[in-house]
Amino acid sequence: MNDQVGGNLKRNRFHALCQSLRPDLLRFAFWLSRDLALAEDVVQEAMLRAWKAQDSLLDEGAAKPWLLTIIRREYARSFERKRLVTVDIDELVAREEPTLATTQADDLAELRAALFKLPDEYREPLVLQVLMGYSTAEIAAELNLSNAAVLTRLFRGRNQLRALCGEDTRRDPEEC
Amino acid sequence: MLNCADYRRAVLADPQDADPLLRLHRDGCRECLEYTDRLLLFESRLERAMRVSVAAAGDARVAPLRTPAGARASAAPGGLKARRGWLAMAASVLILVAVAGALWLAEPHSSLAADVVAHMAGEPQAWARTDIPATAPELAQALGDAHLRLDPKAGMVSYARSCQFRAHHVPHLVVQTEMGPVTVMVLVHESVSKPERFDEQGYHGVILPIPGHGSLAVLARGQIPSPDMLKQVASRVQDALVWTG
Repeated sequence: MNDQVGGNLKRNRFHALCQSLRPDLLRFAFWLSRDLALAEDVVQEAMLRAWKAQDSLLDEGAAKPWLLTIIRREYARSFERKRLVTVDIDELVAREEPTLATTQADDLAELRAALFKLPDEYREPLVLQVLMGYSTAEIAAELNLSNAAVLTRLFRGRNQLRALCGEDTRRDPEEC
Repeated sequence: MLNCADYRRAVLADPQDADPLLRLHRDGCRECLEYTDRLLLFESRLERAMRVSVAAAGDARVAPLRTPAGARASAAPGGLKARRGWLAMAASVLILVAVAGALWLAEPHSSLAADVVAHMAGEPQAWARTDIPATAPELAQALGDAHLRLDPKAGMVSYARSCQFRAHHVPHLVVQTEMGPVTVMVLVHESVSKPERFDEQGYHGVILPIPGHGSLAVLARGQIPSPDMLKQVASRVQDALVWTG
Protein backbone atom coordinates (compact mmCIF):
# COMPACT_ATOMS: atom_id res chain seq x y z
CA MET A 1 0.00 0.00 0.00
CA ASN A 2 2.86 2.35 0.88
CA ASP A 3 4.47 1.69 -2.51
CA GLN A 4 1.18 2.43 -4.20
CA VAL A 5 0.73 5.67 -2.26
CA GLY A 6 4.30 6.64 -3.10
CA GLY A 7 3.75 5.79 -6.74
CA ASN A 8 0.56 7.81 -6.90
CA LEU A 9 2.23 10.74 -5.15
CA LYS A 10 5.00 10.64 -7.73
CA ARG A 11 2.53 10.38 -10.60
CA ASN A 12 0.47 13.26 -9.22
CA ARG A 13 3.57 15.41 -8.97
CA PHE A 14 4.57 14.49 -12.49
CA HIS A 15 1.09 15.31 -13.73
CA ALA A 16 1.16 18.69 -11.96
CA LEU A 17 4.59 19.39 -13.37
CA CYS A 18 3.46 18.61 -16.93
CA GLN A 19 0.33 20.73 -16.47
CA SER A 20 2.37 23.72 -15.33
CA LEU A 21 4.82 23.42 -18.22
CA ARG A 22 2.28 22.59 -20.91
CA PRO A 23 1.37 26.14 -22.03
CA ASP A 24 4.97 27.06 -22.82
CA LEU A 25 5.64 23.67 -24.41
CA LEU A 26 2.58 24.12 -26.59
CA ARG A 27 3.76 27.60 -27.56
CA PHE A 28 7.17 26.19 -28.43
CA ALA A 29 5.60 23.45 -30.57
CA PHE A 30 3.38 26.04 -32.22
CA TRP A 31 6.32 28.23 -33.25
CA LEU A 32 8.20 25.13 -34.36
CA SER A 33 5.39 23.87 -36.56
CA ARG A 34 3.42 27.09 -37.22
CA ASP A 35 0.31 24.95 -36.91
CA LEU A 36 -1.66 24.87 -33.64
CA ALA A 37 -3.46 21.60 -34.41
CA LEU A 38 -0.17 19.87 -35.20
CA ALA A 39 1.43 21.46 -32.12
CA GLU A 40 -1.33 20.03 -29.91
CA ASP A 41 -0.85 16.56 -31.40
CA VAL A 42 2.91 16.77 -30.97
CA VAL A 43 2.66 17.92 -27.35
CA GLN A 44 0.06 15.26 -26.55
CA GLU A 45 2.22 12.50 -28.01
CA ALA A 46 5.27 13.90 -26.27
CA MET A 47 3.45 13.98 -22.91
CA LEU A 48 2.47 10.31 -23.34
CA ARG A 49 6.07 9.39 -24.12
CA ALA A 50 7.23 11.43 -21.14
CA TRP A 51 4.65 9.74 -18.92
CA LYS A 52 5.95 6.31 -19.92
CA ALA A 53 9.57 7.39 -19.40
CA GLN A 54 9.04 9.47 -16.26
CA ASP A 55 11.40 7.29 -14.23
CA SER A 56 14.27 8.50 -16.40
CA LEU A 57 13.69 12.06 -15.19
CA LEU A 58 15.87 12.16 -12.10
CA ASP A 59 15.74 15.90 -11.44
CA GLU A 60 12.43 17.76 -11.64
CA GLY A 61 14.37 20.96 -12.26
CA ALA A 62 15.43 19.51 -15.59
CA ALA A 63 11.86 18.68 -16.63
CA LYS A 64 11.43 21.53 -19.05
CA PRO A 65 14.46 20.82 -21.25
CA TRP A 66 13.73 17.09 -20.99
CA LEU A 67 10.17 17.57 -22.25
CA LEU A 68 11.31 20.03 -24.86
CA THR A 69 13.75 17.52 -26.32
CA ILE A 70 10.95 14.93 -26.47
CA ILE A 71 8.75 17.47 -28.28
CA ARG A 72 11.45 18.22 -30.84
CA ARG A 73 11.89 14.50 -31.53
CA GLU A 74 8.14 14.00 -31.73
CA TYR A 75 7.86 16.88 -34.18
CA ALA A 76 10.60 15.30 -36.32
CA ARG A 77 8.66 12.01 -36.21
CA SER A 78 5.57 13.79 -37.50
CA PHE A 79 7.54 14.40 -40.71
CA GLU A 80 8.29 10.70 -40.98
CA ARG A 81 4.66 9.69 -40.44
CA LYS A 82 3.13 11.93 -43.06
CA ARG A 83 4.28 13.87 -46.02
CA LEU A 84 3.79 17.50 -45.12
CA VAL A 85 2.55 19.71 -47.89
CA THR A 86 4.48 22.87 -48.71
CA VAL A 87 2.27 25.88 -48.13
CA ASP A 88 2.50 29.56 -48.82
CA ILE A 89 3.46 31.65 -45.75
CA ASP A 90 0.50 33.99 -46.28
CA GLU A 91 -1.81 30.97 -46.31
CA LEU A 92 -0.20 29.74 -43.08
CA VAL A 93 -0.69 33.14 -41.44
CA ALA A 94 -4.31 33.25 -42.60
CA ARG A 95 -4.95 29.72 -41.34
CA GLU A 96 -3.52 30.46 -37.88
CA GLU A 97 -5.15 33.88 -37.62
CA PRO A 98 -7.12 33.05 -34.43
CA THR A 99 -3.88 32.13 -32.66
CA LEU A 100 -1.86 35.00 -34.06
CA ALA A 101 -4.54 37.62 -33.40
CA THR A 102 -4.15 39.88 -30.39
CA THR A 103 -6.56 42.06 -28.51
CA GLN A 104 -3.75 44.24 -27.23
CA ALA A 105 -3.28 47.73 -28.57
CA ASP A 106 0.23 47.21 -29.91
CA ASP A 107 1.20 45.49 -33.12
CA LEU A 108 1.96 42.00 -31.84
CA ALA A 109 0.02 40.43 -34.70
CA GLU A 110 2.46 41.97 -37.19
CA LEU A 111 5.38 40.62 -35.19
CA ARG A 112 3.79 37.18 -35.05
CA ALA A 113 3.28 37.16 -38.81
CA ALA A 114 6.93 38.18 -39.23
CA LEU A 115 7.99 35.28 -36.99
CA PHE A 116 6.11 32.93 -39.32
CA LYS A 117 8.23 34.21 -42.18
CA LEU A 118 11.55 33.55 -40.47
CA PRO A 119 13.37 30.45 -41.73
CA ASP A 120 13.18 27.51 -39.31
CA GLU A 121 16.90 27.63 -38.55
CA TYR A 122 16.55 31.17 -37.22
CA ARG A 123 13.10 30.89 -35.64
CA GLU A 124 13.84 27.87 -33.45
CA PRO A 125 16.91 29.22 -31.60
CA LEU A 126 15.15 32.55 -31.20
CA VAL A 127 12.11 30.90 -29.61
CA LEU A 128 14.35 28.81 -27.37
CA GLN A 129 16.13 31.96 -26.20
CA VAL A 130 13.26 34.42 -25.86
CA LEU A 131 10.34 32.21 -24.88
CA MET A 132 12.06 29.33 -23.12
CA GLY A 133 14.89 31.33 -21.54
CA TYR A 134 17.67 29.11 -22.86
CA SER A 135 21.27 30.30 -22.74
CA THR A 136 23.44 30.16 -25.86
CA ALA A 137 25.18 27.03 -24.55
CA GLU A 138 21.85 25.33 -23.82
CA ILE A 139 20.56 26.13 -27.31
CA ALA A 140 23.81 24.81 -28.79
CA ALA A 141 23.43 21.56 -26.86
CA GLU A 142 19.76 21.16 -27.82
CA LEU A 143 20.32 21.89 -31.51
CA ASN A 144 23.68 20.14 -31.69
CA LEU A 145 25.43 23.28 -32.92
CA SER A 146 28.50 25.22 -31.81
CA ASN A 147 28.03 28.32 -29.64
CA ALA A 148 29.29 30.47 -32.50
CA ALA A 149 26.75 28.98 -34.91
CA VAL A 150 23.94 29.65 -32.42
CA LEU A 151 25.02 33.28 -31.96
CA THR A 152 25.15 33.75 -35.72
CA ARG A 153 21.65 32.36 -36.14
CA LEU A 154 20.30 34.49 -33.31
CA PHE A 155 21.94 37.59 -34.80
CA ARG A 156 20.56 36.89 -38.27
CA GLY A 157 17.14 35.91 -36.98
CA ARG A 158 16.76 39.07 -34.92
CA ASN A 159 18.08 41.20 -37.79
CA GLN A 160 15.60 39.75 -40.27
CA LEU A 161 12.75 40.00 -37.82
CA ARG A 162 13.45 43.65 -37.07
CA ALA A 163 13.68 44.44 -40.77
CA LEU A 164 10.40 42.63 -41.45
CA CYS A 165 8.75 44.70 -38.71
CA GLY A 166 10.02 47.99 -40.11
CA GLU A 167 12.38 48.66 -37.19
CA ASP A 168 15.15 51.18 -37.77
CA THR A 169 18.11 48.94 -38.63
CA ARG A 170 20.36 51.65 -40.06
CA ARG A 171 22.64 51.51 -37.05
CA ASP A 172 22.84 47.71 -37.04
CA PRO A 173 26.32 46.29 -37.54
CA GLU A 174 27.33 44.19 -40.50
CA GLU A 175 27.73 40.50 -39.85
CA CYS A 176 31.34 39.44 -39.25
CA MET B 1 37.88 47.06 -25.32
CA LEU B 2 34.82 46.49 -27.51
CA ASN B 3 33.91 48.81 -30.34
CA CYS B 4 30.31 49.73 -31.14
CA ALA B 5 29.94 47.18 -33.95
CA ASP B 6 31.17 44.33 -31.75
CA TYR B 7 28.89 45.45 -28.94
CA ARG B 8 25.81 45.61 -31.19
CA ARG B 9 26.58 42.27 -32.78
CA ALA B 10 26.73 40.75 -29.31
CA VAL B 11 23.49 42.29 -28.05
CA LEU B 12 21.65 41.47 -31.27
CA ALA B 13 22.53 37.83 -30.66
CA ASP B 14 21.65 38.01 -26.96
CA PRO B 15 20.12 41.24 -25.62
CA GLN B 16 20.14 39.84 -22.05
CA ASP B 17 23.85 39.01 -22.11
CA ALA B 18 25.24 40.12 -18.71
CA ASP B 19 28.89 40.12 -19.81
CA PRO B 20 30.68 42.88 -17.82
CA LEU B 21 32.55 43.95 -20.98
CA LEU B 22 29.25 44.69 -22.69
CA ARG B 23 28.04 46.65 -19.70
CA LEU B 24 31.27 48.61 -19.58
CA HIS B 25 30.88 49.60 -23.22
CA ARG B 26 27.18 50.43 -22.79
CA ASP B 27 27.87 52.63 -19.77
CA GLY B 28 30.43 54.62 -21.73
CA CYS B 29 28.61 54.93 -25.05
CA ARG B 30 25.42 56.96 -25.22
CA GLU B 31 24.53 55.76 -28.73
CA CYS B 32 24.88 52.11 -27.80
CA LEU B 33 22.85 52.73 -24.63
CA GLU B 34 20.01 54.15 -26.75
CA TYR B 35 20.43 51.31 -29.23
CA THR B 36 20.12 48.79 -26.37
CA ASP B 37 17.05 50.49 -24.92
CA ARG B 38 15.30 50.29 -28.30
CA LEU B 39 16.39 46.69 -28.74
CA LEU B 40 15.07 45.75 -25.28
CA LEU B 41 11.73 47.35 -26.10
CA PHE B 42 11.61 45.24 -29.25
CA GLU B 43 12.64 42.22 -27.19
CA SER B 44 9.80 42.78 -24.76
CA ARG B 45 7.32 42.94 -27.67
CA LEU B 46 8.90 39.84 -29.18
CA GLU B 47 8.44 37.87 -26.01
CA ARG B 48 4.82 38.92 -25.72
CA ALA B 49 4.32 38.05 -29.39
CA MET B 50 5.66 34.55 -28.75
CA ARG B 51 3.29 34.09 -25.81
CA VAL B 52 0.33 33.24 -28.02
CA SER B 53 -2.81 32.33 -26.18
CA VAL B 54 -3.06 28.58 -25.83
CA ALA B 55 -5.75 28.63 -23.17
CA ALA B 56 -8.40 27.43 -25.61
CA ALA B 57 -6.23 24.60 -26.83
CA GLY B 58 -7.80 21.99 -24.58
CA ASP B 59 -6.88 20.65 -21.17
CA ALA B 60 -3.73 18.75 -20.60
CA ARG B 61 -4.21 15.08 -21.03
CA VAL B 62 -0.94 13.75 -19.80
CA ALA B 63 -1.98 10.12 -19.56
CA PRO B 64 -5.17 8.14 -19.32
CA LEU B 65 -6.20 7.55 -15.71
CA ARG B 66 -6.37 3.80 -15.99
CA THR B 67 -4.94 1.11 -13.82
CA PRO B 68 -3.30 -1.93 -15.38
CA ALA B 69 -6.11 -4.11 -13.99
CA GLY B 70 -8.75 -1.88 -15.56
CA ALA B 71 -6.90 -1.85 -18.84
CA ARG B 72 -6.72 -5.64 -18.99
CA ALA B 73 -10.37 -6.01 -18.07
CA SER B 74 -11.59 -3.72 -20.80
CA ALA B 75 -9.70 -5.77 -23.35
CA ALA B 76 -11.09 -9.13 -22.16
CA PRO B 77 -14.01 -10.60 -24.18
CA GLY B 78 -16.94 -12.69 -22.77
CA GLY B 79 -19.45 -12.37 -19.89
CA LEU B 80 -17.29 -13.78 -17.08
CA LYS B 81 -14.34 -11.74 -18.20
CA ALA B 82 -16.58 -8.69 -18.45
CA ARG B 83 -17.84 -9.24 -14.87
CA ARG B 84 -14.27 -9.68 -13.71
CA GLY B 85 -13.56 -6.45 -15.53
CA TRP B 86 -16.32 -4.67 -13.62
CA LEU B 87 -15.03 -6.09 -10.35
CA ALA B 88 -11.53 -5.01 -11.25
CA MET B 89 -12.77 -1.55 -12.13
CA ALA B 90 -14.75 -1.31 -8.89
CA ALA B 91 -11.65 -2.40 -6.98
CA SER B 92 -9.62 0.19 -8.86
CA VAL B 93 -12.10 2.90 -7.92
CA LEU B 94 -11.91 1.81 -4.26
CA ILE B 95 -8.12 1.86 -4.40
CA LEU B 96 -8.15 5.29 -6.01
CA VAL B 97 -10.52 6.58 -3.30
CA ALA B 98 -8.28 5.08 -0.61
CA VAL B 99 -5.17 6.56 -2.20
CA ALA B 100 -6.82 9.96 -2.57
CA GLY B 101 -7.81 9.80 1.10
CA ALA B 102 -4.30 8.82 2.11
CA LEU B 103 -2.85 11.69 0.07
CA TRP B 104 -5.32 14.12 1.59
CA LEU B 105 -4.43 12.99 5.09
CA ALA B 106 -0.72 12.97 4.38
CA GLU B 107 -0.46 16.40 2.76
CA PRO B 108 -3.60 18.38 3.44
CA HIS B 109 -2.04 21.82 3.10
CA SER B 110 0.81 21.39 0.65
CA SER B 111 -0.84 21.44 -2.76
CA LEU B 112 -0.56 25.20 -3.35
CA ALA B 113 3.08 25.19 -2.25
CA ALA B 114 3.77 22.11 -4.40
CA ASP B 115 2.26 23.81 -7.44
CA VAL B 116 4.31 26.95 -6.81
CA VAL B 117 7.48 24.85 -6.57
CA ALA B 118 6.54 22.92 -9.72
CA HIS B 119 6.13 26.25 -11.50
CA MET B 120 9.60 27.33 -10.38
CA ALA B 121 11.11 24.23 -11.96
CA GLY B 122 9.81 25.45 -15.31
CA GLU B 123 11.59 28.80 -15.20
CA PRO B 124 15.17 28.18 -14.02
CA GLN B 125 16.45 31.19 -15.98
CA ALA B 126 14.55 33.46 -13.58
CA TRP B 127 16.99 32.69 -10.77
CA ALA B 128 20.03 34.43 -12.19
CA ARG B 129 21.82 36.68 -9.72
CA THR B 130 22.09 39.92 -11.68
CA ASP B 131 22.14 43.66 -11.33
CA ILE B 132 20.27 44.26 -14.59
CA PRO B 133 16.72 45.32 -13.79
CA ALA B 134 13.67 44.18 -15.72
CA THR B 135 12.54 46.85 -18.14
CA ALA B 136 9.60 49.10 -17.27
CA PRO B 137 7.41 47.57 -20.04
CA GLU B 138 8.19 44.07 -18.73
CA LEU B 139 7.21 45.08 -15.22
CA ALA B 140 4.07 46.85 -16.39
CA GLN B 141 3.08 43.86 -18.49
CA ALA B 142 3.64 41.42 -15.62
CA LEU B 143 1.74 43.47 -13.05
CA GLY B 144 -0.92 45.06 -15.24
CA ASP B 145 -3.23 42.04 -15.42
CA ALA B 146 -3.35 41.91 -11.61
CA HIS B 147 -4.02 45.67 -11.32
CA LEU B 148 -0.89 46.05 -9.35
CA ARG B 149 2.30 48.03 -9.18
CA LEU B 150 5.36 47.52 -7.03
CA ASP B 151 6.92 50.21 -4.90
CA PRO B 152 10.73 50.39 -5.42
CA LYS B 153 11.23 49.69 -1.71
CA ALA B 154 10.68 45.98 -2.56
CA GLY B 155 14.15 45.93 -4.14
CA MET B 156 15.46 45.63 -7.67
CA VAL B 157 13.24 43.45 -9.87
CA SER B 158 15.36 41.47 -12.32
CA TYR B 159 12.67 39.29 -13.84
CA ALA B 160 9.02 40.03 -14.50
CA ARG B 161 6.57 37.83 -16.34
CA SER B 162 2.87 37.20 -16.36
CA CYS B 163 2.66 33.45 -15.95
CA GLN B 164 -0.07 30.88 -16.29
CA PHE B 165 -0.72 29.37 -12.88
CA ARG B 166 -3.77 27.25 -12.06
CA ALA B 167 -5.60 28.61 -15.11
CA HIS B 168 -4.93 32.26 -14.26
CA HIS B 169 -2.28 34.72 -15.31
CA VAL B 170 -0.32 35.80 -12.25
CA PRO B 171 2.66 38.13 -11.81
CA HIS B 172 5.93 36.22 -11.38
CA LEU B 173 8.77 38.49 -10.25
CA VAL B 174 12.32 37.94 -9.10
CA VAL B 175 13.56 40.51 -6.63
CA GLN B 176 17.27 40.79 -5.90
CA THR B 177 17.63 41.00 -2.12
CA GLU B 178 20.35 40.84 0.47
CA MET B 179 19.80 37.06 0.56
CA GLY B 180 20.08 36.68 -3.22
CA PRO B 181 17.31 36.36 -5.82
CA VAL B 182 13.88 35.80 -4.32
CA THR B 183 10.88 34.79 -6.39
CA VAL B 184 7.54 36.44 -5.78
CA MET B 185 4.24 35.22 -7.14
CA VAL B 186 1.10 37.25 -6.51
CA LEU B 187 -1.66 34.66 -6.36
CA VAL B 188 -4.75 36.82 -6.61
CA HIS B 189 -6.99 33.79 -7.09
CA GLU B 190 -5.57 31.68 -4.26
CA SER B 191 -6.52 32.39 -0.65
CA VAL B 192 -4.84 31.06 2.46
CA SER B 193 -6.14 31.64 5.96
CA LYS B 194 -2.77 32.09 7.64
CA PRO B 195 0.93 32.28 6.71
CA GLU B 196 2.26 28.92 5.54
CA ARG B 197 5.94 28.02 5.41
CA PHE B 198 7.28 25.26 3.21
CA ASP B 199 10.57 23.61 2.30
CA GLU B 200 10.40 21.49 -0.84
CA GLN B 201 12.98 20.32 -3.37
CA GLY B 202 15.54 22.85 -2.23
CA TYR B 203 13.09 25.74 -2.21
CA HIS B 204 12.27 27.61 0.99
CA GLY B 205 9.17 29.70 0.93
CA VAL B 206 6.28 31.31 2.63
CA ILE B 207 2.74 31.95 1.43
CA LEU B 208 1.14 34.97 3.07
CA PRO B 209 -2.53 35.87 2.98
CA ILE B 210 -3.33 39.24 1.39
CA PRO B 211 -6.79 40.18 2.67
CA GLY B 212 -9.06 40.83 -0.29
CA HIS B 213 -6.35 40.03 -2.85
CA GLY B 214 -5.58 36.31 -2.49
CA SER B 215 -2.09 35.45 -1.38
CA LEU B 216 1.59 36.08 -1.94
CA ALA B 217 4.18 33.33 -2.41
CA VAL B 218 7.81 34.24 -1.73
CA LEU B 219 10.53 31.67 -2.36
CA ALA B 220 14.27 31.43 -2.10
CA ARG B 221 16.40 28.63 -3.52
CA GLY B 222 19.25 26.75 -1.87
CA GLN B 223 20.74 27.81 1.44
CA ILE B 224 19.08 30.76 3.15
CA PRO B 225 20.58 32.67 6.09
CA SER B 226 17.53 32.10 8.26
CA PRO B 227 13.77 31.52 7.97
CA ASP B 228 13.21 34.83 9.73
CA MET B 229 15.07 36.68 7.02
CA LEU B 230 12.84 35.10 4.38
CA LYS B 231 9.83 36.24 6.38
CA GLN B 232 11.23 39.77 6.60
CA VAL B 233 11.81 39.87 2.84
CA ALA B 234 8.27 38.55 2.26
CA SER B 235 6.81 41.23 4.54
CA ARG B 236 8.79 43.95 2.76
CA VAL B 237 7.56 42.76 -0.65
CA GLN B 238 4.00 42.59 0.67
CA ASP B 239 4.28 46.17 1.94
CA ALA B 240 5.51 47.27 -1.49
CA LEU B 241 2.47 45.95 -3.36
CA VAL B 242 0.23 48.80 -4.47
CA TRP B 243 -3.18 47.81 -5.80
CA THR B 244 -4.43 50.02 -8.60
CA GLY B 245 -7.83 48.52 -9.24
